[in-house]
Amino acid sequence: MAIPELLSSIFLVMGAAFFMAGTIGLLRFPDVYTRLHALAKVDNLGLGLIILGLLFQAPGLTVALKIILIWLLALAASSAVSFLIARRALNRGVAPWKAKEQKI
Amino acid sequence: MSSLILDLLLVIALLWSALRSLMTQDLFQAVVLFIVFGLLMALVWARLHAPDIALAEAAIGAGLTGALLLDTVGYLRKKQQESFP
Amino acid sequence: MNDFNLLLAVFLLVNLIIALLRVARGPTDADRLLAALLFGTTGVAILLLLAFTADTLVLMDVALVFALLAAITGAVFAQRAWRMEGVEEGKDGNS
Repeated sequence: MAIPELLSSIFLVMGAAFFMAGTIGLLRFPDVYTRLHALAKVDNLGLGLIILGLLFQAPGLTVALKIILIWLLALAASSAVSFLIARRALNRGVAPWKAKEQKI
Repeated sequence: MSSLILDLLLVIALLWSALRSLMTQDLFQAVVLFIVFGLLMALVWARLHAPDIALAEAAIGAGLTGALLLDTVGYLRKKQQESFP
Repeated sequence: MNDFNLLLAVFLLVNLIIALLRVARGPTDADRLLAALLFGTTGVAILLLLAFTADTLVLMDVALVFALLAAITGAVFAQRAWRMEGVEEGKDGNS
């Protein structure tokens, strides 16, 4: 197996691992804010590593630039939407989750 | 082999989201399931080698209709709050 | 290499189906919508993998539309659908 294919496989597997972590986090985390945190990991690192892995398979420069553009768009959209939803949840009075020991 | 599994999983998820979107009592949940259904439908069109229809489905079916339905849910809730405070 | 891409797409689709559980039970509306946003991102990844597998690079445009769509859906949800409860208009949001 050539070196670019090996690097591509490694990055793709790492990205898929981040996707799995995000899904588990969405299912297991206790409130909205922590779930937003899990979703941000998927949007930034999961998609970023998948795209980094696919860059080694890209047939040309335009294709590579285009998938990098997709990642940048996903980054901007993810951060803006996370901020909007967290601010609205805080305004509505959704209480942030606290661990049992910290509750006084 | 894995392409067959991919198609089967897509069909199962598509049917499940469509059924839940029709059967559920909660209006907001129905809207979210409709958006999910649109995304899955775009994936199915992409699998069927019809990328132009996938583009239209993602933009119109899931994006535009989903945003309009979300806006409608917000309007209905506001109206319900005004009439039954 | 193509088989590997397809296998990863199947894995991401399994993830996506598991995330449907959060739509079904999620206490607040935001939790349900977060699952839809995760669907958007995972859909982008699956479409990119499929585009490089079947050598149909047009699918990248569909992925671009998916990424745009997630932003629109989230913004409409936060600004229009999930308003304050019990507080009159004009006080919320634009702080």
